[in-house]
Amino acid sequence: MAANYKKVNRGVTLTLWERLYVMEVLRGIIITGRHFIRNWVSTFRSYMSGNPAGRGIMTIYYPEEKPVLPEAYRGRPMLVRAVDGKEKCVACGLCEVACPAKCITIVGAMRPDGTRYPETYMLDGAVCIFCGLCEEACPEEAIVMTHNYEGLVEYDRSQMLYGKEALLVPEEKLKGRLDYIRRRMYNKCNY
Amino acid sequence: MENKNRLDLNTELMVLNMGPSHPATHGTVRFFLKLDGEKVVHMETEIGYLHRGFEKHCENGTWTQAFPFTDRLNYCSAPQNNVAYALAVEKLLGVTDKVPPRAVYIRTIMCELSRMADHYTNLGAATLELGALTAFIYFVEARELTWDLIESVCGARLTSNYIRVGGLASDLPEGFAARVKEVFAKNRVFWDEFDKLLTHNRIFLDRMRDTGGISRADAISYAFTGPCLRAAGVEYDVRKAFPYLAYRDVDFDIPIGTTGDNFDRYLVRMEEIKQSMRIVEQCLLQLPSGPININDASVRNPSKEDGKTYMESMIFHFKNTIEGIQVPKGEAYVATEGTNGEVGFYLVSQGGGKPWKCRVRPPCFALTQAIGHMCTGHYLSDIIPTFDMINLIGGECDR
Repeated sequence: MAANYKKVNRGVTLTLWERLYVMEVLRGIIITGRHFIRNWVSTFRSYMSGNPAGRGIMTIYYPEEKPVLPEAYRGRPMLVRAVDGKEKCVACGLCEVACPAKCITIVGAMRPDGTRYPETYMLDGAVCIFCGLCEEACPEEAIVMTHNYEGLVEYDRSQMLYGKEALLVPEEKLKGRLDYIRRRMYNKCNY
Repeated sequence: MENKNRLDLNTELMVLNMGPSHPATHGTVRFFLKLDGEKVVHMETEIGYLHRGFEKHCENGTWTQAFPFTDRLNYCSAPQNNVAYALAVEKLLGVTDKVPPRAVYIRTIMCELSRMADHYTNLGAATLELGALTAFIYFVEARELTWDLIESVCGARLTSNYIRVGGLASDLPEGFAARVKEVFAKNRVFWDEFDKLLTHNRIFLDRMRDTGGISRADAISYAFTGPCLRAAGVEYDVRKAFPYLAYRDVDFDIPIGTTGDNFDRYLVRMEEIKQSMRIVEQCLLQLPSGPININDASVRNPSKEDGKTYMESMIFHFKNTIEGIQVPKGEAYVATEGTNGEVGFYLVSQGGGKPWKCRVRPPCFALTQAIGHMCTGHYLSDIIPTFDMINLIGGECDR
């Protein structure tokens, strides 16, 4: 079990066949032609059967077809709205300090029953770098990275300042991600 | 008579600016050339067009907040930069041996996957600039598959932000080994096709062989590292010379060239892709189970479950996030084998939660300074393959 140094074979001597060049062109055409025919046949077959997954090429016809995202995917950060309709966030400000791009601004307040909540929660979508450190810092699992990657671009930067209303998402919609971070990231067995 | 005519011709040297945004130089770099006909007489390189103040950024945040910035150094192989930085901080903290073995193995896997992705990008782009578009498409597809693997682990293709001080951000997803097997089978087919299209291709050989060569002694004195140094015949690889992570426990070959020209660099890189696949497969076989984070709340945030149950864990969680990990006073340098060469982080801590100085040793900075030496005396068109095989990454070189 060790690493060994090994000389690469540099002495590529071209045979007469290869030096003729025309034959090499033909060989290249066979390789690329095989790809062409395979892609053509598989695309045709998937079109006939209506199964886009059977297509041999990597291309996704985007607006009609959506890519399958892995569970770990980090999209737009969203706030969790608990089942009772209130924000889960307690305005502790950890995400604000954990953010390396400094894109979060929170003003906290207190409800009549004594629980804290964010009065304003501003996330600047133009500054966010989607690193996921806010999610890691949040002690309440109130901010999570969702699979949402659409509508992140605007014509005006001022429209990319997301307030609380734009960020809050019901908990049941974020179940997949919440389950993932509990299972794979911050689980006790990982420590 | 003929000679006399020749002397009459105006043969002044021509001054040519190549770049900063030249379509054939993938990266913003400016070459200042003096040409005699088509021969390069003098060449100067100007870098710094992508300077973003990485080192200053790091000094303004906590130790953990530097990870997203390290992603953006060599953006083709972000997990390697993460690993290099994490190893340097762990050395400062003195917890290098306490990182769980599973984390070490997963770090090795991520390093090698990103090495593959980087070589695919480099070789693909190099052939693209020499006119071989189809070969580029094949390697980009192979890279896409590799990046899908990385994405399924980290959550992002380029800006992985995966490694943490004392552990990892998340565990491997379920069924990762099976997916790696599937992807590697496809990647081997693409590798073979790329090899068939190019290695014995006369045009490719004419462009690559005996261009941009550098001697063994010059390569050492220019502080070359990585594939370019090994192509010149020097047996130096950080993975073997100073083994880190799990490289002691795996079996792999390090390809060595002889003359140090572009063709040797190409062959070394092609072979390294195969060896990286070997390393990943061995690591997945040996992958131990267990925790992925260090069991030390002052280094790595405790689990959320603990944070909600125990007061101390919650305090550590808040203190680690707000003040940063408390790193003792001192300095450390850790070298790792990046894709282009030795990626090293030199960190100085004055105690406290922020790095006092965070200096990165980028491999392509040393490589780029020698490009004038390698291209002088050759033709103008030889600059393109030489520059491709140097693999300048602006984000890393200019920081």
